[in-house]
Amino acid sequence: MADRKSSAVYLGSARGSWLRQVGWRHLIGVVALFFALFPVVFVLSAALNPLGTLSSTELIPTGASLENFRRLFAETRFATWFGNTLLIGMTAAISSMFISACAAFAFSRYRFIGRRAGLMSLLLVQMFPQNLAVVALYLMFTSITDYYPAVGFNTPWGLILLYLGAALSVNTWLMKGFFDTIPRELDESAKVDGATHSQIFFGIILPLVVPILAVTGLIGFITAVNEFILANVFLTDSGSKTLAVGLYGLVAGERNNNFGIFCAGSVLTAIPTVALFQYLQRYIVGGLTAGAVKG
Amino acid sequence: MAEVVLEKINKTYENGFHAVIDLDLEIADGEFLVLVGPSGCGKTTALRMVAGLEDISSGTMRIGSRVVNTLSPKDRDIAMVFQSYALYPHMSVADNIAYGLKIRKMSKEEIQRRVKRAADMLELGPLLDRKPKQLSGGQRQRVAMGRAIVRQPQVFLMDEPLSNLDAKLRVQMRAEIAQLQRDLAVTTVYVTHDQIEAMTMGDRVAVMKAGLLQQVGQPQYIYDNPDNLFVAGFIGSPPMNMALAVLEREGADGLAVLVGSARLVLAASVAVARPGLAAYIGRDVAIGVRSEDMEDARLVPGAPADARLRAQVNLTEALGSEIVVHFEIDARRVVTEDTRLLEKHTGAAEAVHHDTGTRFVASFAPRSPVKPRDQIEVVVDTERLHFFDPKTGVAIRG
Repeated sequence: MADRKSSAVYLGSARGSWLRQVGWRHLIGVVALFFALFPVVFVLSAALNPLGTLSSTELIPTGASLENFRRLFAETRFATWFGNTLLIGMTAAISSMFISACAAFAFSRYRFIGRRAGLMSLLLVQMFPQNLAVVALYLMFTSITDYYPAVGFNTPWGLILLYLGAALSVNTWLMKGFFDTIPRELDESAKVDGATHSQIFFGIILPLVVPILAVTGLIGFITAVNEFILANVFLTDSGSKTLAVGLYGLVAGERNNNFGIFCAGSVLTAIPTVALFQYLQRYIVGGLTAGAVKG
Repeated sequence: MAEVVLEKINKTYENGFHAVIDLDLEIADGEFLVLVGPSGCGKTTALRMVAGLEDISSGTMRIGSRVVNTLSPKDRDIAMVFQSYALYPHMSVADNIAYGLKIRKMSKEEIQRRVKRAADMLELGPLLDRKPKQLSGGQRQRVAMGRAIVRQPQVFLMDEPLSNLDAKLRVQMRAEIAQLQRDLAVTTVYVTHDQIEAMTMGDRVAVMKAGLLQQVGQPQYIYDNPDNLFVAGFIGSPPMNMALAVLEREGADGLAVLVGSARLVLAASVAVARPGLAAYIGRDVAIGVRSEDMEDARLVPGAPADARLRAQVNLTEALGSEIVVHFEIDARRVVTEDTRLLEKHTGAAEAVHHDTGTRFVASFAPRSPVKPRDQIEVVVDTERLHFFDPKTGVAIRG
């Protein structure tokens, strides 16, 4: 009895193999954590470092202050950039989410001439590297700016239009895949109940595809906030810049020592994205269709 | 409420598949019609055409006095219960039931009144606030029914509504749906592949095969008078036993059949009722025997010798009220397109046929002492034999 007890509970017997059984997981975890957090801590530390240079930045700053943040708002048009970015990001994300959902609904539910061709061309367009189109887009928008300055250079709307086009195909494909998993009987049942196409779309299907809406919305927002190349070409006026373009301008010059301000701006830039992710996270869960049909 | 009339309804898909061929059906006001057949026979397609979920290739469909060929489902005043129930997962039970009424912009009070009535009828009262995923299969089935009855439509359409339930619940829901339909007296078209549901629920049964309507009639009539081998084998459980036999003249105007080594003399009434049999004298006929028309010879001491089959028992299943006996006789098997299709439907196609004769299934009275591997004699009620043309499978009657 005593023997059995000791062999069952003594941790001592497992001590030698602790590293082999559990420990190595912790080690990998610690390394991964360090790897992930290092840049964040470095940027945070630089943002709080009043000296504001890259070379003087250490992981734990010697004298922390909010001086960089003060200068960010006082000496740059950070607040304007922030507003521009939110406007462009939100509008692009929400519009592309809605347009793609409409397209995906049609591609998933209806059979029409050109359906396959449409899907294929979306895929092909998607494969074309967008950055190569910058020159063509620049030329196009030169003319557009001449005729319709409201959607031309240095306006958020021109850029939003571009982001919409860029996100449309991948979002449509992503969503169509998800729409296809919603049983068709639900549409048919609603149809028999008397619902119109739009009632089915808004009342039955959209509530069930919330997870994919959240994902595409989030991706759309992050892409729009982080996008640099197009924004840099299109937004040259200081008052129309987004955060990515504006902040880059702070450190682009050769002899700038705005690194502290740049990092302070970066930290603030991350806030809306993290907040949005926290908010949308609860929608990005599967299993919403459970119980619709026998499962 | 209304009658439903299908006239020469056809459905051809784009790939050329002819799913429903010249379907003629008249479903009377308030009638419960069951469309039954093996999978792929076109019964669900036919139902979906009534619902308006499938285009009609040709023919005329009427509900009440209106031709509905081109009407959308919402304008046909029908309600449908789907095999998968198709409940809206993000809505509560009450909202699921009320959805069709809300779409039709009915007043809140009226919706509430109707939902409550339907819920009471189906005993869904305590579940109204739940989501579909919190319900059991039977409860979901009830919600689907509730969604149909709350609209008070002219026609109910049901597409295998019980096939996702377990056996016990199925029996219970079968009775409930039949009862509900009788109470509401709404014209109902019910699709199933289960012939027991067809027999027990329908006022009339329509048997379909490969897009073609085989026979329509009251369940008992179809059971007793199948028009062809397919209907004979499909309706009834266990299915009708079939064997090839040779028809012979017996005496002056009597008839007999040679079934393997046995010779069954037919009652005079058989020949009188089926003058068409005369043409088959000296030729093969397919005979059909229902399981209940056979009995262990030891239990019928006075049975004549010319009404007996010699049999080798393979298996017995004592059910208490009867003994189901599987045995083999030395007659030739009936093999036609129909029997092959039936075997596929029952899954018998996969079973190994190592027997050379024909397998019969009979139900004996429980006091029969029959045991597996017995050599027994089986008395056949020759008045209740069925005769079919062995090539076309059509019943030999007039």
